[in-house]
Amino acid sequence: MHLQAQEGLMSTFRTGWRSRSAVAYGLSLLLFAFYISMYFGGQYGLPDLWQPLAEAVGLRSKWFVYGLVYTVWMLIGAAWYLRQHGNSRYNQARIGVNVAVQVVLGFTLPFVMPLFGGTEYYFSYFWPLKYDYLYPHTMWSLPWYLALYGVVMAVFTAPLAAVFFGKRWYCSWVCGCGGLANTFGDPWRHLTSSSTASWRFEKYAIHAVLGLAVVSTGVIAMHQMGMGEGTLLVPIAQQTKIWYGFVVGSILSGVIGTAVYPVLGPRIWCRNFCPMAALLGMSQKLGRFRIRVKKDMCISCGNCTTYCEMGIDVRAYAQRNQSFTRSSCVGCGMCAHVCPRGVLRLENGAWEQAEDKQLQGLSIIDY
Amino acid sequence: MRIVVVGNGVAGMEAALAVRRRDADATITVVSEESDHFFSRTALMYVLCGQLSHRCIEPLERGVYERLRLTRVRARATGLDPEARLLTLADGRTLAYDRLLIACGSRPRPAPWPGSGLRGVGHFVTLQDLAWLEAELHGQQSEPRPPNEWAHLSVSAADSPYGRREVAAETRGRTCGSPLVIGGGLIGIEAVETFLAAGRSPHFVIREDRFWPNPISAAESAWVAEALRGHGALVHLDTHVESMVGDGRGNVDRVVTDKGPLDVDCVVVAIGVVPNTEWLGEAVERDQSGGIVVGDDLQTSAPGVYAAGDCASVRWFDGQRRPEQLWYTGRDQGRVAAQALLGDDVRYRRSTWYNSAKLMDIEYTTAGLVGLDLPGESEWFYEETGAVKSTTRIVSRDGAVIGFNFLGRRWDHEVLIRWINERRSLAWVLDHLGAARFDTELVPPLVIPAAAR
Repeated sequence: MHLQAQEGLMSTFRTGWRSRSAVAYGLSLLLFAFYISMYFGGQYGLPDLWQPLAEAVGLRSKWFVYGLVYTVWMLIGAAWYLRQHGNSRYNQARIGVNVAVQVVLGFTLPFVMPLFGGTEYYFSYFWPLKYDYLYPHTMWSLPWYLALYGVVMAVFTAPLAAVFFGKRWYCSWVCGCGGLANTFGDPWRHLTSSSTASWRFEKYAIHAVLGLAVVSTGVIAMHQMGMGEGTLLVPIAQQTKIWYGFVVGSILSGVIGTAVYPVLGPRIWCRNFCPMAALLGMSQKLGRFRIRVKKDMCISCGNCTTYCEMGIDVRAYAQRNQSFTRSSCVGCGMCAHVCPRGVLRLENGAWEQAEDKQLQGLSIIDY
Repeated sequence: MRIVVVGNGVAGMEAALAVRRRDADATITVVSEESDHFFSRTALMYVLCGQLSHRCIEPLERGVYERLRLTRVRARATGLDPEARLLTLADGRTLAYDRLLIACGSRPRPAPWPGSGLRGVGHFVTLQDLAWLEAELHGQQSEPRPPNEWAHLSVSAADSPYGRREVAAETRGRTCGSPLVIGGGLIGIEAVETFLAAGRSPHFVIREDRFWPNPISAAESAWVAEALRGHGALVHLDTHVESMVGDGRGNVDRVVTDKGPLDVDCVVVAIGVVPNTEWLGEAVERDQSGGIVVGDDLQTSAPGVYAAGDCASVRWFDGQRRPEQLWYTGRDQGRVAAQALLGDDVRYRRSTWYNSAKLMDIEYTTAGLVGLDLPGESEWFYEETGAVKSTTRIVSRDGAVIGFNFLGRRWDHEVLIRWINERRSLAWVLDHLGAARFDTELVPPLVIPAAAR
């Protein structure tokens, strides 16, 4: 009915499975078990449950079983999300697009294209998130236009779009990881830590992973282009490929990133480890996206900070009357949506005053 | 310099932080009877309904007191000797100061009716009120209290608003099923909203013939009442409470009004707040409302003693002095008081009035002079229906806009106030209204048809 109001107050903290009860930990364990069996089944002496199932139901590989489960979780989560926050037009549009991208580009096209002799290609994932799309071996195996698409999107279009619209164009409207966090993971968004310590960890961790992504891609590319034959580069590149894939690709983005939803909140991967988020965050910081704060109207209630899935202490800025851009902000719009005084608004546009952009960190003395 | 701040609320804490920002060496002591940690009183309702946790409404990390060397004293201040510059605490200790800031806030206006002392009758203003209502509604407190939550109980006076209250649900053996809220103001509607969120259908007893009669008009008020009733509240307008009757075991059982009795098992009295200043006696000058009389530099009648926030009677835009019970004015006063404490020549100035609120799920913004029935004023009103329901009320006088009242949409009061100060005409304002819009993205703009102008 009212486009900008919560439809009645939420009872988030009175719901056990959303408040780190035993049930929440149990759910988390189930997710861990699912991810370990999915990623490592058939290795390390673990039974391979999913590949035989995939073949039995005609889904080709276990990754399409995973893709199907993922998409279904997202659809269920989207229904939950729209029931909770669906009175907001921004939320409707954002979740609608995000789910459509997952269904079409994240699952259907990659599954269907090979049936017609095409390539299995994920149009909604780019380097450095989809790190192998810039490996020379991958690019040579793709039709030239897909290889070119991958390069242009990764190094030009995606960062540039983040300069103009913020990283939200990707992290909250397109990306499947973000999409799962915002739908299936939405019931736990308030569990993300907003402590200074968690912010400090995020800043080191996410830029470290971006550095690793750049270096590992460089080393692997040199190796695949035939450089350094007979030198240490070869074993280093081979080991880098294995370990980056294992640690970042499997453990951080898959197992940990999703399985801890019910305990630590839904954006652990996006906030702390995703190299794409780090890259787009830098672009965002240079660009036009910001959260605008209405002057002297904040009542410091903490709804914005609590419901920020990225752990940004939005309230700290709001009570200082400071419009701001944080590189981690994925522009989900929830802070503005839950604000009972309408203090916050997401904006793309030129900064009005030079000083607006100066003080974007919070000094120790000011909270 | 020894600075003592009485009150760990927004005015006191803002002042303490601002003093520390300027002066690394001052000894800063913050005295509070209510809580160990600064919290946002405006957010108590969100904790009661479960939308936020107790920790969520603390705007600062708990380490801030240690990091900024703010010494906390958890006790009730009971007396002030301005000659000797000594503050007395309930446990008999005294605190010596060079500069004192009194920022001890408001307390709920006591219920005047017979039977108001029954178990199950209380207010919704303090952390202790929250704990009481949580117990009445949910049977148990939702999470562990902050450390030393009740440490002050031994020193608390019988009439303290920060004392622990007996819970009717405990003696009854069941949680509250039929609550009643008295008082058609903001705390009243918040209490009603939390009862609705907890699945109860509260009675809402309002003395006036409509909800919140001064700030909003009859049409605006009718919309809020409709929202209240639509969500299940039982709104009783133009209804006067006469007494409260117990069940024979000390629990409240019935509220008798001039329109008849209502069966209840929990009553929230929300008929306003008064400055929490009785403890000061004659130490500083107070006005009839109990507010501490301060000059524009927030200094009281006693040298070196300042007051800020709800307990201070400051000068309003209309030139009169009275307490200003708002969150952000408390914060502003705290900042000004900090400068005064450090010896600056400062003035607290409140310019054009503005405020915002959320009435159920309807957003409210006001700026300037509205609802005062000034001679010669005229009103323009537009009710939007469709995808967005909203009302726009603009008051003009002598050809210039002097006030705005909005329901259902978000507006930037800064722009509205600028227009008022620039003495813009109604026609000009209607042409430019879009520039003051603060709606979230993709909300369709307010389009005023030519016929309505």
